[in-house]
Amino acid sequence: MTPFLAMVRRELRSVLHEKTIMIAVLIQLFLASFSSIIIMGLVSYYDPESIGLNALTSIRAGVIGDTGTALARYLEAANVQPTIFASPDAAEYAFRTGRIDTIVHLPDEESGIVDMQLYLPESESRSTVILMMLQRPLKEYENHLREKRGVHVRYTDIAGKPSTSYEFLYSSIIPILMFFPAFVAGSMAVDSVAEELEHHTLDTLWSAPVSLTSIFGSKVAAALVLAVIQCIAWIGLLRVNRIHLEHRGLVLLLAVLVAGILSVAAAFIASYFKDRERSQFMYSLFMLIATGVSYFLDSSPISLMTRLATGDYYTGIANLTGYLALMVGLLVLFLTQTRRLIGLKS
Amino acid sequence: MGTIVAIASREVKRLRHGFGGSSRPLVMGVLVGALLISYLAFRQGFVLTRGIYRVGVAPDGPRIQDDRFLSSVISPPRGYEMVSDGSVDLYVDGEHVTVGDKERSRNAAGALKRSLERQELSRISSEYALDLAFPLRIEVNYLPSPLEGAGVTTGPSLAELVRAFGETEAEPGADRAESPPGGTGQAGPDTSRATSRTDAAVREQLSEMQSGTGGGLGEIEMEFAADKEIIIPSLMQPPIPFAQVIVAFFYVLPVCFISVFFTSSFMTEKTDRRIGVLLSAPVTPVQIIIGKMLPYISFSLLSVTVITILMKGNLPLALAIFLPVVLFIFSVYLIVPLLYRTFRDTTFMSMAAVSAITGYLVFPALFSGINDFAYMSPLTLAVKMYRDEPFGLREYLFATAPMAMLFFLSMYFATRMLNEEYLMGFRSLYRKILDAIYLALNRSRPYLSVTLLSLASLPLVYMIQLVILALATNIPFAYALGALLLAGATVEEAAKSVGIVTLIENRIVDSTRQILALSLLSSLGFLIGEKALLFLSLSVVSESDLSKAVLSSGGVLVPLAAHFAFTSLACLLTRRIGTRHYPLAILASSVAHGAYNLVILGVLA
Repeated sequence: MTPFLAMVRRELRSVLHEKTIMIAVLIQLFLASFSSIIIMGLVSYYDPESIGLNALTSIRAGVIGDTGTALARYLEAANVQPTIFASPDAAEYAFRTGRIDTIVHLPDEESGIVDMQLYLPESESRSTVILMMLQRPLKEYENHLREKRGVHVRYTDIAGKPSTSYEFLYSSIIPILMFFPAFVAGSMAVDSVAEELEHHTLDTLWSAPVSLTSIFGSKVAAALVLAVIQCIAWIGLLRVNRIHLEHRGLVLLLAVLVAGILSVAAAFIASYFKDRERSQFMYSLFMLIATGVSYFLDSSPISLMTRLATGDYYTGIANLTGYLALMVGLLVLFLTQTRRLIGLKS
Repeated sequence: MGTIVAIASREVKRLRHGFGGSSRPLVMGVLVGALLISYLAFRQGFVLTRGIYRVGVAPDGPRIQDDRFLSSVISPPRGYEMVSDGSVDLYVDGEHVTVGDKERSRNAAGALKRSLERQELSRISSEYALDLAFPLRIEVNYLPSPLEGAGVTTGPSLAELVRAFGETEAEPGADRAESPPGGTGQAGPDTSRATSRTDAAVREQLSEMQSGTGGGLGEIEMEFAADKEIIIPSLMQPPIPFAQVIVAFFYVLPVCFISVFFTSSFMTEKTDRRIGVLLSAPVTPVQIIIGKMLPYISFSLLSVTVITILMKGNLPLALAIFLPVVLFIFSVYLIVPLLYRTFRDTTFMSMAAVSAITGYLVFPALFSGINDFAYMSPLTLAVKMYRDEPFGLREYLFATAPMAMLFFLSMYFATRMLNEEYLMGFRSLYRKILDAIYLALNRSRPYLSVTLLSLASLPLVYMIQLVILALATNIPFAYALGALLLAGATVEEAAKSVGIVTLIENRIVDSTRQILALSLLSSLGFLIGEKALLFLSLSVVSESDLSKAVLSSGGVLVPLAAHFAFTSLACLLTRRIGTRHYPLAILASSVAHGAYNLVILGVLA
């Protein structure tokens, strides 16, 4: 066991020495900070209210027409200041001089179909923001008109949080963050196996009293150790950012299992192809296939991660046993077949 | 030219050889499998949120048609129990919805509300006449913006320019007629009833809502974002360019995939010690690099062409947008293997490159239409292209010019780094970067070199600053400004002084007078570039106060004096404390520079 540990240490030391792991951590920080930008982007499209767009910016709308009272009430509630104008000319003048941002022109009657005219500035970013802010009051006004016509829309008063950012966070960002170390671990395994084979340093190692099993096992183990450290760091960082993960232990276990499966598979690939270039390429393809296939499974690693992190009632350790079995099976297969695999000509 | 082609064909042969022999069937099978699987997953509309909430519905409750919910029919008393023990998030009993007290339950309620609202719209549209179900129709008109310079699309539309050139298909151009009435504002709204027309709009948007899965990924064709000049409030879709961003991302994907072969190409030369042989042959480094790059760039442009044709885009425009992007990606991948020392190095650096590149390209594009910063990524232009919206030459240059310039910069650096001694040395990354900069300078003409280096580093400085700026928009303004000014100043100070410091280190210059002269020239070169880029960027990104704070500083003499002062501070300090502590010197000058910026902005005065 001791030579095995010594070799794991040797692998880890070389990673630390090259400071490459620092680059990996940097990438992940980069990804994380960019992901918060995406969240902001998504939210500003889907739920402008939840980031307080309506509280941050107030817009001024000119309303032309007498029946504006119901609409005006909804506008005010959404932090849009309505100003009533008697004529289009007055409203246009106010728009030209920058005193109002948009013009709403209501027809005289509220019966029949209400054909409203909306005037927005040509600037694309301005008009999008204005339209997003007007969306809720206009919807409310529409429902008001429906009720007047005896059409009742149900379920308009469910009290809930706008879910876009929550869903994106738990179904995309957290799986990406937690599985990225696994992806890195696989790549590392490819590199360290390929490097020995390509530089023919394996023969030297072999002459020392260590088995092939422990040489390759140590490489996989070193990759895994780094993945564990990164995952723990991620969970800590998420906590600092007040992002709560349920079943934290299981989340970590799943991430580690996936890292294990990927690094063993990566070592497999590298032992067969024996050079970095082809091995890395095949590893990327393998990742693509694995992600694609797992998508069609009901409990793919990604959806399992989402369910664990959001605290799904029916998801627990039992769901992880399949991945554990897969990892152990792959590992046994790899350790018993390495010698034959290396002997194969690719 | 002949030499370049020879090197290119040697590269192709190398690739063919690698995937020949007994492994070929395996590789081909895996490749086809990967393509097939990704195609299938894409067809399914890759929804990751499948089944993330659990909801119980009373026997008489609504059927929930939403992939996000795993719903089961539960009779009332048990249903309420399950909400309180957390085994379901929600329980729907008739019109009443009970919500659990966990975070996920509250979000589930929000999601259910949206989802049921959609179902309700379908219901009322089938139960009632169209004019009762959708009584409000809004016609959108555009007026020239009152504020000067706020418009984005004032310049000539590039799409139109290209179209005028091209022989492209007429169909996307045909329905451009309803673009905003750009004319003089006749705001006299005409109130003619066009009931039938708005009815058609209602039906169209209704069927769009019913066919769409909510995320908007289903429809990728151009109709997705066709001008909707009639708005029905309850059928309003958020203008999220998600589908187009994904399409734009498809362009980048193959380029990133083949990059592993390009980087390996230099590495195998190095491990096999063939690079020396190659360099001793009568070929120049430029020929080697272009020759090696040629197959990959050709492949990338081919894939751009294929994707554009498949997606029915505008081919000349797509090539104009993606050529700089491809060049940019390869300029990064060119430097990576030259800096490499071990395999792991290359892998990690490539990974950093991939994530930085995708981040830089994809994320800003998500904001197209709501923030002008979106134009920092050329993918925004592609999004615009697929939405059939115009953009101007200035926007095009804003997005692509720094990328093209960066390509030439990295080409130059690569030609200098491509020598046996540099490639074979194993030194720290920091050391390798400093050495590369030293190699890039012409030692017999230090003054000219330093000036040009500062000038040429601007696209890189600029891109890094844009990224910092984008990141800082996350933080509250008060904190962001401080962090931003310091980070921006650090990047600038490093760019201006690094050339001089390598000269000091290699004892090309030593006297205070020489250092001061070099600092002045470096500042001058930097300032010239800065002003040129400023002109370009302010015309696009005019609305943000932050961008003004970072990118502009008014006048010429004052900023030149300031740049000169900070650069000479960094350089003289480095000479004093030794080049090993160069980062400290940068920090000192950056703090001074940041403080100066604050004074200029009137915050510290």
